[in-house]
Amino acid sequence: MIDAFSAGAVTLAATSMDMPSIDDFLPPEILFQGTPFAINRIIFVRILATIIMLLVLGITAARAKLIPGRWQGAVEWIVEFTEKNIVYQVMGEVRGRRYVPMILTVFLTMLVFNLCGEVPGFNIAASATITLPLVFAIWCFVQYWIAGIREKGLGHFLRDEMFPKGVPAPVYILLAPIQLLELLIIRPFSLTIRLFANMVSGHLILALCLSATQFFLFEVVNKAMMPFGIITFAAGAFMYLFEMLVAALQAYIFAILTTAYINMSYPEVD
Amino acid sequence: MMTLAEDGVSLFLPKSYDIVWSLIILVIVAIFFYKFFLPKLQSVFDERASKIEGGIAKAEEAQKEAEEAKKKYEAQLGTARVEASKIRDDARAEASHIISDARSRAESDAAQITANAQRSIESQQQKAMVSLQGQVGVLATALAGKILGSELKDANVQSDMIDQMIADMDTEAKK
Repeated sequence: MIDAFSAGAVTLAATSMDMPSIDDFLPPEILFQGTPFAINRIIFVRILATIIMLLVLGITAARAKLIPGRWQGAVEWIVEFTEKNIVYQVMGEVRGRRYVPMILTVFLTMLVFNLCGEVPGFNIAASATITLPLVFAIWCFVQYWIAGIREKGLGHFLRDEMFPKGVPAPVYILLAPIQLLELLIIRPFSLTIRLFANMVSGHLILALCLSATQFFLFEVVNKAMMPFGIITFAAGAFMYLFEMLVAALQAYIFAILTTAYINMSYPEVD
Repeated sequence: MMTLAEDGVSLFLPKSYDIVWSLIILVIVAIFFYKFFLPKLQSVFDERASKIEGGIAKAEEAQKEAEEAKKKYEAQLGTARVEASKIRDDARAEASHIISDARSRAESDAAQITANAQRSIESQQQKAMVSLQGQVGVLATALAGKILGSELKDANVQSDMIDQMIADMDTEAKK
């Protein structure tokens, strides 16, 4: 009964409007099906985006001149922004120098992958599976553990994190597990889910606006409904620009939080 | 509805092939940024900084050189000015020397001419005197002979008288 109903609903939806769904994020495997190297639509977009990014930035770096042109100037601006406004601002120059390549990798890769959702033809962020942000978050996790153990030693690092100073002793019963949980799970998963959820919701809203526009302008039976299409188109255009902002913002947030988490592992000076 | 919920959960479950591709791409991208992109740009930044610093140093050096050249030129100008004034003084001294030389030469010439003239005048006067003496003697003798007749025929008397006369004339003339 339920199956029949849902099947009917699906057919009804298919004839009326092409709705985006979370299935967009679980696309069928199109290459090497069933192997660990299977490629679906999102992974294909990710590989393509990687190749394009490496080519463009690689050629830019290989041809980098003493007197930069406009494009080189723009790339240099992003690199300097990452170096000065993300890494050095959070960690300072002495501590931050060793993390510049890492944060630059995180920021630029995330920026390019997130923006794929706004590239016509790709239409989905290359970071729009749980795994990609998770892998980056685990990199961050490994780095802040290494930094903590290197700078303070494991015991000292854990004591500083789990028993922060200035808290009455009984509170530690509650605080210590929470702090440990934060260190082990909350930090990497909040990084991962923040980015992933933003990409999913962004895609869903944008795709909904545009498919509604398609439906109201071309497929609707009742022509009186057509003005709705103009509204949904305007909303889609707005969401498109908004999602570009979100893509850049989420890349920035991911990078700056990675920097901040690593910085927290260092002993406090001053 | 069940399938939808299951889909929702599976959205957050990493697929093995997704882990593989995410890791491969992370490693590739990280190697690219660590080993090529950032070092390359950094070297360009460093080169640019050193070039700018070098340029500033070069400009400072040029400034110093220019100042040195100016100082040298001014010193040369000073010595040239001193030399010029010295030459002018020398020339002035020489000129005055030449003038004074010429003047003294002219003066001595003039003196010599005057002396010569004096001498020739004196000699002419002498000559005139001598001839006058002769002529006056003869004339006076003739005149006196005519006046005194025979009284003065004695030659000795004659010459005595004449000498006396001339001496008188001399003394008168000297007065």
